[in-house]
Amino acid sequence: MSASTAPFKTRYRRSLSDPDLKPRLLDFQRSWRESRDAQVQRLEQRTEQSFDELRRDFAAVKDSTLERLDDYIAEFRANAEAAGATVVELSTAAEAVNYIAAVCKSRGIDLVVKSKSMVSEEIELNHELEQRGITAIETDLGEWLLQLAEERPSHLVMPAIHQKRQYVAEILGEELGREFDPDDIPAMVASARDGLRRHYLSAGAGLTGANALVAETGSIMVVTNEGNMRLATSLPDVHFVTAGIEKLIPSWADAERQLQLLPRSATAQTLSTYTTCITGAQPGKEMHIILLDNGRRAMRETNTIGDALRCIRCGACANVCPPYQIVGGHTFGHIYTGAIGLVNTTFHHGVEEAAGPQGLCVSCGACQTVCPVDIPLPQQILEVRHRAHEGGHAPLWERIALRLWARPRLFHHLMGLAAAGSGLARLIGLVQRDHLRLPLPRRLGWRSVPAMPLRSGQTLIRSRRPLSHLWESSSAGQTVDLFAQCLADRLLPTAVDSAARLIEAGGSSVNVPQSQHCCGLPAFDAGDWETARRMAKHTIEALEGSERQIVTTAPSCVISMQDHWPRLFDHDPEWRDRAAAVSERIHDLAEWLDGPGRLPDGCLSKGSSKSWTAHRFCQASNRNDAGARIDQLVERLTGETAKLLEEPEVCCGFGGLTSLAAPEVGEGILERKLACVAESGCDTLITNNPGCVIHLRAGANASGTHHETLHYAEFLAARLPKNP
Amino acid sequence: MITLSDRIALFADGLQAAQGELVQCSSWDDVWEHAVALSDETPVVSPAAYEQLQRGELPDDTDPLRSIADRSVGVTVATLAVAETGSVLLIEPTPRDRAISLLTRHLIVAVSAEDIVEDLAEGFLWLGQQPRAAAYATFVTGPSRTADIERSLTIGVQGPSRMTVAVLG
Ligand code: SF4
Ligand code: SF4
Repeated sequence: MSASTAPFKTRYRRSLSDPDLKPRLLDFQRSWRESRDAQVQRLEQRTEQSFDELRRDFAAVKDSTLERLDDYIAEFRANAEAAGATVVELSTAAEAVNYIAAVCKSRGIDLVVKSKSMVSEEIELNHELEQRGITAIETDLGEWLLQLAEERPSHLVMPAIHQKRQYVAEILGEELGREFDPDDIPAMVASARDGLRRHYLSAGAGLTGANALVAETGSIMVVTNEGNMRLATSLPDVHFVTAGIEKLIPSWADAERQLQLLPRSATAQTLSTYTTCITGAQPGKEMHIILLDNGRRAMRETNTIGDALRCIRCGACANVCPPYQIVGGHTFGHIYTGAIGLVNTTFHHGVEEAAGPQGLCVSCGACQTVCPVDIPLPQQILEVRHRAHEGGHAPLWERIALRLWARPRLFHHLMGLAAAGSGLARLIGLVQRDHLRLPLPRRLGWRSVPAMPLRSGQTLIRSRRPLSHLWESSSAGQTVDLFAQCLADRLLPTAVDSAARLIEAGGSSVNVPQSQHCCGLPAFDAGDWETARRMAKHTIEALEGSERQIVTTAPSCVISMQDHWPRLFDHDPEWRDRAAAVSERIHDLAEWLDGPGRLPDGCLSKGSSKSWTAHRFCQASNRNDAGARIDQLVERLTGETAKLLEEPEVCCGFGGLTSLAAPEVGEGILERKLACVAESGCDTLITNNPGCVIHLRAGANASGTHHETLHYAEFLAARLPKNP
Repeated sequence: MITLSDRIALFADGLQAAQGELVQCSSWDDVWEHAVALSDETPVVSPAAYEQLQRGELPDDTDPLRSIADRSVGVTVATLAVAETGSVLLIEPTPRDRAISLLTRHLIVAVSAEDIVEDLAEGFLWLGQQPRAAAYATFVTGPSRTADIERSLTIGVQGPSRMTVAVLG
C-alpha cells in the first residue's frame, strides 16, 4: 500500500515523519500568498472591482447555472452532439470507468494517454482500467511522477508538491534507466518530454478533464501549462473528456470571468500558458464527453453543502490552510485535498473517508477568504464533522469530555478541584511561571499545562468594589451584562475582571448573570450538536429576560452565538427566536470599546517602553469582524505603536479540540506563530481570544520563550488609574 | 479604448511576464528573416503561415506531428493577441495546423498589430461569434512550463521552450 492510500492514521503518522514537508509547504504557502495577492491587487485595479465583488459575480453565475443544471446540460449536449461529440451522463464512478473501458475495447485500444483530470482521480480510473487490461499513462509531469511512485495527488494543482527532488531523481531513474542529478531539475523535466513521447505516438485514446463546459456552443475549456493536453488531444484518434456536471457554465463570457479568477488563484499566473477550447470531434476522430454525477446532485440537495459545487479546483483553500501546511494533502484530504476535500469527500467517497481528515480543520476560516467562488468551506466542514459524529466517528474521550463540559454544576466542581489541586501544586513548588511542571508524554510536551488560579473571573469581579466612572462613553449610565466565557472565567480570570474594569471605566455598571456557563462552541465544533444545543439553551436561559447589552472577552463566543446558534435551532422556531434575542445583544469587548463603550483616544497612555505586537484571532479576522484588529484599538487607546506581527491573522494552533485530537498539528501551527513572535523581537504579545491566550502562553512557557502573553483587556486594564 | 501603441506596450509586458519574447516586424519578409537567423535548419511553417510567407517547410500531410517533432524553429500565425495577458489566439482545427505550435523548440507567432485586442473579454467575445473557430482554439501565453518538481519553474516542457511573437506593422 502506498503512502497515500493507507488508512488515515497511518497517513497522519507518515506525513509527520517527513521532516522536510512542513518547511517546504510553509515556504510554498508564503510565496503563493505573496504572488497571489499581487495578482489579485492588479486585477482589482484593472477591473475597478474588489475581489469580493468579482468572486460574488462569478459565484452568482455558478449558482444560477446549478439551479437550472438540467437545462444547461441539455443545451450543452445538443451543441456538442451537433459538433460531432458523444455526450453521456453517468451517475457513478463505476459507470464512468465501464463506459471508457467499453469504448476502448470496442476500438481495440489498450493505451490511453491522460492529461490532468481530477475526475479521473476521483473515479480511480488508472487502477480500474489496469484491472481491465488497459494501460493509462499520465502525461502531466506531476501526475506522471505520482503514477510512477504509485501515489495520489497531494494538492489539486501541484499534485506532486510533497515529493523531494531526490525522490524524483530516483523514480525517474528507475523508469528511464538512467541516472539523474537531483539538483538538475531542468534535466529531469526534459526527460519527461522524451519519456512520454513514445506513449503519445502509440496511444489509441487521449483523456482530458475540463475546467469548464460551455453550454452555448457545447465546448470544453481546459487550462494547462505544459502543453501535454494539446498533445494528448492531437495524436490519438479518440478523445475522452471526464468532467463533473458542476463544470457547466452558460457562455464564453462566463468562461472569461472564470479565467479572471482561476489562474490567479491557482498558480498566481495572469493566465496559464495554454487555455484550450475544443468544440466537438475533430475531423476523422471521436470525442466522448462523460458528465459525471457521483454524488454531486446529492450535494446540491444537502443543506449548506450545495455551494461547494461552485468549486473551480484552484487549490487556493489548501494554500492558506495552517493544518495543511503541517501534514500535507495526503493526510489533509482523501483524493480531493485541502478544505474542499474535507467537504466533497463525503459525497464522492463516503463519510468514512472524510471522517479522519475533517478532524484536522481548526476552523480558522482562512480558506473562505481566498476561495474565488466564496464557498463557505469552514461551515461546511463543521456540517461534515457533525455527520461524522452522528456516524459514530468521534473518539470516546471527546464524547465523554463534552458530556462533562455540558453539565455546569459538574464542570464547576471539577474546576474547583483543579484550582485546589493547582493551589497545592503551587505550595509544593510544582508551579513555574503559572504553569504546572508535569512529566507530559512527548506528543503533548510542547505545551505546558496552566495552573488553575484559585479564584474565577466572576469571583474577582464580585469581590471588589466597582471602578469609578472615568469617561463618558455613549453607554454611560447603563448596566451591561458580562458573559465571562467558561474557559476564560477559570483560566484567565484577570482578563475577565479587566474587561469589567474597562467597561466600568467607560461609565457603565457591570452585572455578571448568575449560572452562566458555556455557549456550546466546543461541542458544536466537535460535531456533537445535541450537546451543543443543551449548552446553548443553558446560556440562553442565563442571559435572556433583560434588555441589557452583553459583552464578552471571547470573540469566539460571539461567533458561536451569531453563526452557530441559528444552525443549532434551525428546526426549532421557539428556541431560534430566544437565541436570536440573546445574540442580538452580544458584543465582543474590542468592538464595545470602539462602539457603545468607546473610550477616548490616548486615555490609557502610560509611556511604557515595552514593545508589543498582536496576534489577531483568526476566525474573527477572517470573518472581517469589527473588533478583530485589536492592535489598532490598543494603539488608539494607548497612543503607542504596535510592531506588526508577520502573518498576524494566521491561526495560532489552538483550534479547540483539534489541538487535543491531533496535538502535532497544534504544535506545528504554534511553532509557525511563535517564530513570527520571536521575529518581531517584542516583549509582549497580546491577543483577543481566551483560547489563543491560553494556548500561546502554554506554548511559550514550554519552549522557554520569554515574551509575555496577555489578553489585550489585561494589557489595557493595567494602564487604568488605580481606584482611589 | 486604449491606443494601438498602448496595446502593444501592454501586450509586450504581459508576454515578457510569461517569459515570451517580442519582435516588431515591418513585413512577412522580416518575420522570415528573423526565423532563419535562429538556426541552420529550415524553419517549419504552419499552413496559415505558408500562405503569407510562401516559403518554409510544411508539416507532412499524412503524419504531420511526427514529421516536424522537435524541429528547431517553427512559424505560425495568430488570429489575434490579447494585451491584458500577453496571449496569442491560435485557431488550429487540424493536427497539421497545430503541429508547429505543439512540437517545435522555438515557436514564432506572427500577429498583426491591429489584431491586438485590449483584454481577454474581447478575445472571448470574438471567439463566441466564430463557432467554427472554437473547434480547436488556444490562447497561448508564453512557452510551455512546469513547476511540478519542488515548485522550481522550468521553461520548456512538452511544448516549445522559447516563444517569440512577431508583431507586424
Ligand atoms: S477553516 Fe482553516 S483549518 Fe479549516 S480548512 Fe479552512 S483554512 Fe484549513
Ligand atoms: S473550494 Fe474554492 S479555493 Fe478551494 S479549490 Fe475550490 S474554488 Fe479553489
